[in-house]
Amino acid sequence: MQTKNIRNFSIIAHIDHGKSTIADRLIEYTGTLSKREMEAQVLDTMDLERERGITIKAQTVRLDYTGEDGELYELNLIDTPGHVDFTYEVSRSLAACEGALLVVDAAQGVEAQTLANVYMALEHNLEIIPVINKIDLPNADPEKVKQEIEDVIGLDTSDAVFASAKAGIGIKEILDKVVEKVPAPSGDDNKPLTALIFDSYFDPYKGVIAHIRVMDGCIKKGMMLRMMATGKNFEVTDVGCFKPAPVNMEKLSAGQVGFVAGSLKNVKDVRVGDTVTSMENPAAKALEGYRGVNPMVYCGLYPVDSADYDNLKDALEKLQLNDAALVFEPETSMALGFGYRCGFLGLLHMDVVQERLEREYDLRLITTAPSVIYHVHKTNGEMLKIDNPSKLPPATEVEFIEEPYVKATVIVPNDYVGAVMEISQEKRGEFKNMDYLDVNRVMITYHIPLSEIIYDYFDRLKSATRGYASLDYELVDYKQSKLVKLDILLNAEPVDALSIIVHTERAAARGRQLAAKLKEIIPQQMFEIPIQAAVGSKIIARENVRAMRKDVLAKCYGGDISRKRKLLEKQKEGKKRMKSVGNVEVPQEAFMAILKID
Amino acid sequence: MNYGVYIHIPFCRKKCFYCDFPSFAGKEKYMEDYVAALCREITMQGALLPGKAVTVYIGGGTPTTLPLKLLEKIIVQLRASFEIVNDNEFTIEVNPGTVTLAILERLHELGVNRLSIGVQSFNDNLLQRIGRVHTADTARYAVLMARQAGFANVSIDLMYGLPGQTLTILEESVMQAFELDLQHISIYGLQVEEDTVFFRQRDMGKLDLPDEDQVEQMYDYMVYVLPKHGYARYEISNFARPGFASRHNMSYWQNVPYVGLGAAAHSYYNGHRLANLQDISAYIAKLQKGEAVSFEEEIITSEISMEEFCFLALRTTKGIDKAAFSAAFHCMIESVYSDVIAAMKSKGLLVDEGGWIHLTPLGMKYGNIVFEAFLL
Repeated sequence: MQTKNIRNFSIIAHIDHGKSTIADRLIEYTGTLSKREMEAQVLDTMDLERERGITIKAQTVRLDYTGEDGELYELNLIDTPGHVDFTYEVSRSLAACEGALLVVDAAQGVEAQTLANVYMALEHNLEIIPVINKIDLPNADPEKVKQEIEDVIGLDTSDAVFASAKAGIGIKEILDKVVEKVPAPSGDDNKPLTALIFDSYFDPYKGVIAHIRVMDGCIKKGMMLRMMATGKNFEVTDVGCFKPAPVNMEKLSAGQVGFVAGSLKNVKDVRVGDTVTSMENPAAKALEGYRGVNPMVYCGLYPVDSADYDNLKDALEKLQLNDAALVFEPETSMALGFGYRCGFLGLLHMDVVQERLEREYDLRLITTAPSVIYHVHKTNGEMLKIDNPSKLPPATEVEFIEEPYVKATVIVPNDYVGAVMEISQEKRGEFKNMDYLDVNRVMITYHIPLSEIIYDYFDRLKSATRGYASLDYELVDYKQSKLVKLDILLNAEPVDALSIIVHTERAAARGRQLAAKLKEIIPQQMFEIPIQAAVGSKIIARENVRAMRKDVLAKCYGGDISRKRKLLEKQKEGKKRMKSVGNVEVPQEAFMAILKID
Repeated sequence: MNYGVYIHIPFCRKKCFYCDFPSFAGKEKYMEDYVAALCREITMQGALLPGKAVTVYIGGGTPTTLPLKLLEKIIVQLRASFEIVNDNEFTIEVNPGTVTLAILERLHELGVNRLSIGVQSFNDNLLQRIGRVHTADTARYAVLMARQAGFANVSIDLMYGLPGQTLTILEESVMQAFELDLQHISIYGLQVEEDTVFFRQRDMGKLDLPDEDQVEQMYDYMVYVLPKHGYARYEISNFARPGFASRHNMSYWQNVPYVGLGAAAHSYYNGHRLANLQDISAYIAKLQKGEAVSFEEEIITSEISMEEFCFLALRTTKGIDKAAFSAAFHCMIESVYSDVIAAMKSKGLLVDEGGWIHLTPLGMKYGNIVFEAFLL
């Protein structure tokens, strides 16, 4: 294939705007897979992805398409993860492309996340083809959305494709536009090899398979290659492309997209954003934009049954094979025993990992409330990075604490501006900017502590705006804040796993809310359980879980023992989800109570 | 095999507000067919089961909503199909207001020797509030008639924790019960079950239940005052004068087999737990065709059997007979439950002494915690 006939593109879309369906139709239309071979959504392969309608791992597929001019084109579609947690991964996928389809729902219009990704695509100088999808919906207004794209993003939409992936409308037009508009990759087969890794996955037989885009040079079987950032050397055992199953090829040339496999056993050696070069004729400089993995959110994962500790470790190791962004290390809690401190890209990532552990590995887990990384500057000049509130040094040793702030971009109909500002203010946000996207949609920018975002910012936004708000955020910097550790005592014993770090001014309110919430969650037991919230030695809130007065089933109607037994079994099932902390039985959800305060 | 027989009569004049038992008002038109079907089931089961009936219990619903001739038919059929030992206990449940002296006399003649009268309270306002069809006077009168008809073993039910009930109201009812010189008293704490009037009232915020503290006081009062007046507690909710513990009731807790007859009745024999069809018309239709009306509820594995042996026996004040456990399962109870026993002892809920394991008074209060712990 000549370089001039290659087109590399991705799809940018908000959740539910139809990205996966469009990808499916493109695969179908080009005959890459027959209809029968298609699952409903080929590109989202994990069950979880399909259920949640999101893409977590990027997927790649090569489409062979004969254009209007009668020439055969190689179109490489790189599907990008569609969530704010995976911004960096998205940026690497975009860096592997020359063009992008911007898919916007004809009824919903532009959303915050779409916007963030479009800007990122523009930064990478991608040619953007607007696709207005779902035009067959009764409430579709494609012309209005088209105008919005012009007004909001400043894109020329005269070439926009009106499509309905569901109804198969506009699919050929999309393919023709890709051929016509997206520039062919530039690149030189004869230059030293540089190939960008934009994803990887673990294959039990072949080891780690890297998804790559060759920038210059070419890759052949048997070559010795080097990862420029991790320094890992390996021999190429397989090289090829995805259709969408991996198909071996002789070589990948400059401009092409595909995979490379070799003696790569550890996903950590294959970092997204790293540059692959040849050992024999190495490139002088790596490609730009590489960044190590930086988890933003940490939480403790503990098995409910301490006998599951080793199983949890095995499961985490297996997940890590496919998820370089997941980090974990052993941790001990006085209350919960042995477990792991795990780092995630964001809340969704955390949710997904937790759910996979429970679902695929059949583990019952207790998750502690998520925490960000605090920079704690001690009086002795030392700086500690604290990702677990219980590790915060005593207040007397702390000079000051810094916490991560993000730039949060919210798009809402203008009726809800007041609500957004109120919530953002309450979340310690600093107002930065407000732009009218059109007569009734507004983009509001705030700088907000990440810790507030991971609590319930988005949920609050959603409910205050009847679901209309869309949110995107990115880390900006660390700022000094007046923070303290809030401890929770059950039965007068501090429970480390319930400690949180809060802003001084909010400590009292949070303490009261948290104690009240815990009172709701912790079931009555044979004795009274005082719940106290404390900052240092000062008790700032107290609640009581009253003692259960009695608990015995009286009736046994006509010898119906089975019914009695079922009641007891149900009760026992409930207890299984509890952890004994001291002599108090604490349900799993208590450790996430802080997220459920309203 | 010696066993108990339970016969279910799923009819009542009016559904009480707390009741979620399989019992229906306004289905009188089925009575005749139901009794015919029941008699058929009695015949079939009687032919099938070897051994003798030691206790018989006719419950409901309200058995005495049936016309006397139908009740007679059932008892006659029962005596024809089952061999009942001479020294039997034969109970029928009676609702005040549904019986006359003549009916009671006839029942006594037919060999019924124990009456269980659903009194619930001697406070008229409260009786109305919980949907009973009788007054306190009618209830007292029923007890007096029972004695006149020749019954020497009379039990009543009393409830506590009812909406609008106070400790004082309960005390008055208990005192009135003591004046009636009864042999047996059962106490039931109200549980608001789904599909009851109370459940819907609670949903609408219209159920003025006493709070937990008050209910606890009522419970404490009952378990204190009944023994003081000569009614010893022999099971969590049952109290009796010496020699009057209900043998039928005890059979449920002591792993004794029982045969349930009638719609929704439950059976336990030869290691099987069976349940009869609940639906009255379906029950009748099946029996008219001579088909079986019971289905296996659960397979009793040895594990389940052990669990049940324990949590049922623990409901009685005597508790688990360790020797009986060993005999039944060919292993020491400690080899299965030593951790559980230790944990429950340390919580002050269980005592292990003299070959018996039984609940402490505190354990009686928190029985479910102990029972649940005995599930393997």
